[in-house]
Formats: sequence, structure tokens, C-alpha cells
Amino acid sequence: MTSYQFRWDTIPQNFDFLMSGMQMTLLISAITLVLAMLGGLVIALLDMSKYRAARAAGLTIGEVIRNTPILVQLLWVYYVLPIFLGININAFTALVVGLSIYSSAFIAEVYRAGIQAVPVGHREAAQVLGLSPSQTFMRIVLPQAVRMTLPPLAANFVQLIKYSSLGAVISVGEITRRGMELSASTFRPLEIFTFIAVVYFFICWPLAMGIRYWEGRLARR
Amino acid sequence: MAETELISAEALSKRFAANLVLKQVTLSVTKGEVVCVVGPSGSGKTTLLRCLALLETPSEGRVTMSGETISAATSDATIKRAAKAVRADIGMVFQHFNLWPHMTVLENVIEAPMRVRGADRASAIESAEALLEKVGLSDKRDAYPIRLSGGQQQRVAIARALAMNPKVMLFDEATSALDPELRREVLLVMRQLATEGMTMLVVTHEMGFARNVGTHVVFMDHGEIVEEAEPETFFTQPQTDRARRFLQQFED
Repeated sequence: MTSYQFRWDTIPQNFDFLMSGMQMTLLISAITLVLAMLGGLVIALLDMSKYRAARAAGLTIGEVIRNTPILVQLLWVYYVLPIFLGININAFTALVVGLSIYSSAFIAEVYRAGIQAVPVGHREAAQVLGLSPSQTFMRIVLPQAVRMTLPPLAANFVQLIKYSSLGAVISVGEITRRGMELSASTFRPLEIFTFIAVVYFFICWPLAMGIRYWEGRLARR
Repeated sequence: MAETELISAEALSKRFAANLVLKQVTLSVTKGEVVCVVGPSGSGKTTLLRCLALLETPSEGRVTMSGETISAATSDATIKRAAKAVRADIGMVFQHFNLWPHMTVLENVIEAPMRVRGADRASAIESAEALLEKVGLSDKRDAYPIRLSGGQQQRVAIARALAMNPKVMLFDEATSALDPELRREVLLVMRQLATEGMTMLVVTHEMGFARNVGTHVVFMDHGEIVEEAEPETFFTQPQTDRARRFLQQFED
């Protein structure tokens, strides 16, 4: 290490290039979060359906997604899915679709936990007063479940920021990919990947701390 | 069947897995009566009340309201329709209040009148305010339940049930979850309701209330009704050993 000549000026020289990658990272994470929230809802509804076949489907989808590596899923969506569907999928779409599917399975669990955390007595009180099952769900269960669901959803966003780095493998121009490209042309991997790790950290860490504080406040209510 | 009979259980049994918690219980409440159900824990009192509130489906027997069947072991379309029609006429107050924590006191009270009875907001608020005044909580209308004491929460729960103008009010150990000093304020509200002629079925451990406010006492043990009498008779001359043993616990 002593003989190593640091060239931190590589970073400011390529700052815009790297930051455009960070923008891409955040864009992918945000789009994916929204899609995964919808996908998670579908899986959660399947899981809690009164129909056995729907529950079996929801359960199977969830288990398969949770018990296979995300990188394999991404490669599968990028290389295999186009063959099945006979269409072209660009790397960006493949990454968003793959991450969304992966995240849906976890978000479905978040929803389920949120709904189950609403005490049965609150539902019974609504039932006794004559509220219909759908009114009970929309007016009593959902508003409470959403509040409990927000911190874990935010935590999922942090996960997505980190997992989106896997897009580098299928050449999506997010920050990790930008770093790989830059280190190939400048031969400065140490400065570049250290900088990138620091950028990830200072985005994810404050979010994680904020979520912890938020959960603490909710727990005290 | 008496013409004024409001709600009744007919040969009601309830089984949870292998446990028979209600055994052929028959009980009816006529208009204006305050029936107090007493008995040791696990005697089936709460299950009986939950069957009448349509929260549990009986394993045998049926529940009727003004003579019409509203719940039975095997339900058909007629029973379901009848149940839906009278559902909101049966008010219930829970041991653990069950106020909705994401709504203010006022919102808790107006929710059902607006959604179920289709009342407009202004008139729902007007009646809710009158009810909150009645239970002594006008100043808490915009508070969230978490800010209230248990006694205050239970009084809001009573106001919430009354907002539907129920024909009968069921109380499931409404004061059991409260500290002794908070019970009184809830019992006073219940007593006032009784005085106004509300028909009530009260599952309780408050012997003073049963004796002084009740018009009829039902003693349950091991899932069956062991004894039924006027309060004075029940408390001074219990007929069965089981009732005598039960009452002895309250004597010191």
C-alpha cells in the first residue's frame, strides 16, 4: 500500500459521469418500488384469498421468488424471458422487471403482517355496528395497516438501491456499472469503487436511521 | 312467546373443537329488561353474548330477534337477510373497548351512522355530540383514543354503540379491563341507560350492579344456566350450591 499513488482527482474529473449513474440508480429504485408495491398487493391478495387455488398460487410464487438468488432471477428475466415471450427486452426493462418481481414477494409479506397486526377486536367492533366486510377493510383495517406498513416499505426502498447495483451485470448504466466502465478506462478501481461505496452509504444510511426513528415512534403509539 | 320479547337464545350450544362451551342455553330478554349474566370465568357467559351479537355461529340452536331467526347452526338466505336487517339494532360494548385508534372520538361515533344508516355528516355529528355529552366527554370529541383513560375510552365505546339507536345493548365485561377507580364512571353511564329504559344484557363481575340495577340475574357455570332469579332473591337466597359457592367469593 505504501507505494500506491492515490489519484482522487479521478473522481471530480468524472463526477458528472458517476452522478448520472447515481440518478439512474435512484430512478430504477423508485420505479421498482412502485411496481413492487402493486405486485406485492397482488401476491398478498392471492395469499389471503378465500379460494384455495389462489392461495396456493400466491404461496408458490412467493416461495419461489424468496428462495432463489436475485442475480439468477435477473439473468433469467434478461436472457430467458425474451425467448419464451418472443420479444426483445432491453437491459433497463429487464432490471426493473426482475427487481420488481423479487421485491413484490417481500412486500407481500409486509402487507400481510400489517393487516394481521390490526387487532381482531377492531374488526368485530365494525361488524357489530353493521359495517360490511368491504367497509370494514377499507375504513378500519387498511388505514391502520398502511401506517404500520410505511416504515418497512421505506426499508425496501433502501434494499432496492443496493440491489439495483446488480444491474451492472446486465450492463444497465447505474452507478456501479458507471464505476466499472470508468475503472476500465482509467485503471483507478480503488478510488472509484471506494467513492461509489461511500455514495451508497451516505444515501442508504440516513434513510435507514430515519426509518428506525419512525418505527420507534409508531411503536410508542 | 311474549310479545315484547326482544332477543333470545334458544337451546344454544357452542363447541370449539372438542370443547363444549355452551350447553343448550335458553335465555330471552324482553323490552326494558336489564338481564345480568354472572358466573365464574370460563362459564360460557362471553360466548353466549358473542353468539347473540352474531360474532359466533352456534353449533346448535338459534338466536332470534323479535321472533325472527337471525342466527343458527346452518344458515340460509332467509336467516342471513334477517341478520343483516337487525345487525345494527344490537349494540355491543367490549371488554377491551375496541375503539378505532386512527379516528378521533367523534369520528369513531359518527362512522357507523354515516356508513350504515346513511346519515349525513351534519346530523351524525349533531347526534354524536349529544351522546358524548351524555357520557360526559364533550370536551374529548377531537381527541384520539390513545389520549383517553380506559374509563373514558369505554364511555366513548358506549356512545359509539348508542349512535346506531340499538334496540338492545350487550355489555361484555365492560369494566373488567379497568382499574377500580375508573369502573364507577362506566357503571354510572350503564346505570343511567338502564334508568332510561334501555334493554340490556350485561355479562359482569360487578355484583353491586347486578343486584341494584339488574331486573333479572342469570347464573352460569360450565356452559349452562344454573339459576335464574330476581336479583334480590338470587343474592339473598341462592338455590344451588354452585351459586352459593360463587357468591361466597364476594363476601369478604
